[in-house]
Amino acid sequence: MSNDAVNVTRRRVLTAATAVVGAVGAVGAAVPFVGSWNPSARARAAGAPVRVNISRMEPGEMVTVEWRGRPVYIVRRTREALATLEQIEDRLRDPESEVPQQPEYARNRHRSIREEYLILLGLCTHFGCAPTFRPDVGAQDLGGDSWLGGFFCACHGSRFDMAGRVFRGVPAPTNLEVPPHAYEGDGLVIIGVDQEV
Amino acid sequence: MSKMVGLWNWIDKRLPVQRAWDTHMGKYYAPKNFNFWYFFGVLSLLVLVNQLVTGIWLTMNYVPSPDDAFRSVEYIMRDVEYGWLLRYLHSTGASAFFVVVYLHMFRGLMYGSYKAPRELVWIFGMTIYVVLMAEAFLGYVLPWGQMSYWGAQVIVSLFGAIPVVGEDLVQWIRGDYLISGITLNRFFALHVVALPIVLLALVVLHILALHEVGSNNPDGIDIKANKDENGIPKDGVPFHPYYTVHDLTGIAVFLFVFCFIVFFFPEMGGFFLEHPNFEEANNLMTPEHIAPVWYFTPFYAILRAITVDVGPLDSRFLGLMAMGAAIAVLFVLPWLDRSPVRSMRYKGMFSRVALIVFVSAFVILGYLGVQPSTAGRTALAQICTLIYFAYFIGMPFWTTREKTSPVPDRVQKKGLPLRLTLGGLALFAVLVVVPIAAVGAGAPSCGDVPCDVMKTDPRNKDSLQRGAKWYMNYCMGCHSVKFSRYERVADDLDIPHDLMRDNMIFSTHRIGERMEISMSTQDGAAWFGVAPPDLSLVARSRSPEWLYTYLRNFYRDDSRPFGVNNRVFSNVGMPHAMLELQGLLECGAGPERDQRGNVVRDGAGNPVIDENCGNLVEGAISGSMSQDEFDQVTYDLVNFLAYVAEPYKVDRQRIGIYVLLFILVFFVFAYLLNREYWKDIH
Repeated sequence: MSNDAVNVTRRRVLTAATAVVGAVGAVGAAVPFVGSWNPSARARAAGAPVRVNISRMEPGEMVTVEWRGRPVYIVRRTREALATLEQIEDRLRDPESEVPQQPEYARNRHRSIREEYLILLGLCTHFGCAPTFRPDVGAQDLGGDSWLGGFFCACHGSRFDMAGRVFRGVPAPTNLEVPPHAYEGDGLVIIGVDQEV
Repeated sequence: MSKMVGLWNWIDKRLPVQRAWDTHMGKYYAPKNFNFWYFFGVLSLLVLVNQLVTGIWLTMNYVPSPDDAFRSVEYIMRDVEYGWLLRYLHSTGASAFFVVVYLHMFRGLMYGSYKAPRELVWIFGMTIYVVLMAEAFLGYVLPWGQMSYWGAQVIVSLFGAIPVVGEDLVQWIRGDYLISGITLNRFFALHVVALPIVLLALVVLHILALHEVGSNNPDGIDIKANKDENGIPKDGVPFHPYYTVHDLTGIAVFLFVFCFIVFFFPEMGGFFLEHPNFEEANNLMTPEHIAPVWYFTPFYAILRAITVDVGPLDSRFLGLMAMGAAIAVLFVLPWLDRSPVRSMRYKGMFSRVALIVFVSAFVILGYLGVQPSTAGRTALAQICTLIYFAYFIGMPFWTTREKTSPVPDRVQKKGLPLRLTLGGLALFAVLVVVPIAAVGAGAPSCGDVPCDVMKTDPRNKDSLQRGAKWYMNYCMGCHSVKFSRYERVADDLDIPHDLMRDNMIFSTHRIGERMEISMSTQDGAAWFGVAPPDLSLVARSRSPEWLYTYLRNFYRDDSRPFGVNNRVFSNVGMPHAMLELQGLLECGAGPERDQRGNVVRDGAGNPVIDENCGNLVEGAISGSMSQDEFDQVTYDLVNFLAYVAEPYKVDRQRIGIYVLLFILVFFVFAYLLNREYWKDIH
């Protein structure tokens, strides 16, 4: 071995080049291992959009459906309930829905596509309990006359109005989430798919 | 930068990182004359890593229970993203492990790497080999296919041949009165936890022992006998960088071959993944022909070769003993070889020929272990078993008597003359091919008739769409395809979802769901005698050719419950589902065929005519389609079944091409780097 003949630069360049190609290969080899952690076809099938027929819902009624294993509340609000949304805005933390807890098409006072129908993910934004639907105006346990209907989370006392907007002075930091949803015809709502513009 | 140096010094004072690196890489001096045969050590390490990583990933979705094991493997293959790749890497890796280990062991035999002072290296290596066989066997049980089940049944029953305690031992190993979920669970624990730990520990011992005494080389020379003034062997080069860059090229070549198999021949014609294993385990029915996976077959052939009783010992026990002895004798090899030299380069001609004869016998045994036994094959297996043991028993005698050549002081660049090497290779080829040809193999046949030729085409979407339609109309009433999902079939075959939903999904199933049917197994069994099987994998457990021939060979047979029989699958419990299309063929005169499907001829060379059912002819009931139209329907149907058996096949081949191209690029860089480092080493 004669040390003079060693071309250090050539060795370095070749080592670097081989290392780079090898690193690319390592990243490529990681693709299947990383990819296999994505939801499988079974998980995707179980989490597929849910179709709900809402044509028979009465005003004031609420139904709960399951989407991706989580409760989704669908409420058909009465005229009176919709009228309360404006009255209480000064008591809300985020009345304009500025925190992106809803798709763009539901960023309005009633937080829905159609005024009457409210569609919410039934998990409290505090620590994930399922709030109860309390449309009973003036309920004694919720503050009497000041309660105009909404959602109440019994776990830690968070309160939300009839559009799922959070009140001030409760532990929950943000409004309830509105899941992506779309209407198909008059009486069919699909939860899990965004409304096409 | 100085902070990094500081941190490094801090660690090195507390952990011997630098010392370990120097001992095993930077200042480990390996002989500079390593040849092709010296790649297989590092390659087995590479395959071990592959097995560990892919194995860990497979356990994330595999379910070790008799109800779910088979299903969960198909779930991995179809529903988990890249799951098929993870599994093929693992299944091909198992076979690749044995390929490199066998070649690694052959290298040891050739260059006397087991001889003093490397006896412990050899013994640790042999222990790795035995543990590896156990690991491979246990792993093969996990997919819970027919071969998994019956392979486990046979191998576990081997212990029953041990006198007195045998049967109790078998029951203790199974933990049940048959191979069951209890057995599966303990095999799973051993395969994924216990044995890998043992293997890793043994690999560490193997390498530590090797690095203590130093590597052997093709000349079998002790390079430590010739050191320069610094105490460095004159014929040695530091392992790093010289052999790291050298091994990189070998790794690139290996990966190319390995990935070629993974992406293009994952079943390897039934040698790496056996066809009956695509059928779920059934404890009431053994597959027609069972054979272990190829890497066990030499020892399996020895087991079967023992057919005589000796005194009170029956052949079953003696077979087991012979098989055990065949492995055990390898452990004492260092003490059987008494030659003054290590390498075949300097041993006598007798040693060289003996090695070739021995390896040929081993390969022939391997071939015979795959084949169903016949009288001729059993005789050949007995001869090869004798050769196998004669090699070891005779070794102490010829190694002390034969004349060896003088061993040079320094390593040589050249090995044996090319003509000798080629001559040895030719001898090996002749010794293997001639005996195997003598015991002959038959052409594949489909029941009583030769298989029709058909070639599936997963890219022919028109054919697949038609096939899907025929399947829904004529098959899915009774046969589910429960591992497949409607949505995937629609997407792969370019069928719009709403069309799929309206025309192909008859039940209340959603499009993302699996293609199951409402007929229960009990009802199916009551109506047809045997419940109509699920057809998700039938194209892999049988073959597309078999299915195609089967569907075209129904004929009228009034003695059968449904009035039809089949020339490929006699007395099948299935009605002719497509009778309205094909009509009902009847038996007519035609050439008689032997068991291999060849036409039987009389002395004059004329075909013997079978008046009974040598051919099928048109009968009283004709169908709505012409023969050509019906053949097309059958083709499309089988093409669809082949697609559904491996829906990711097109993806697999497409990705494979990119992977192979990338490895080629990597090889070029590794080659240049290796050449740059080695150009001054002479």
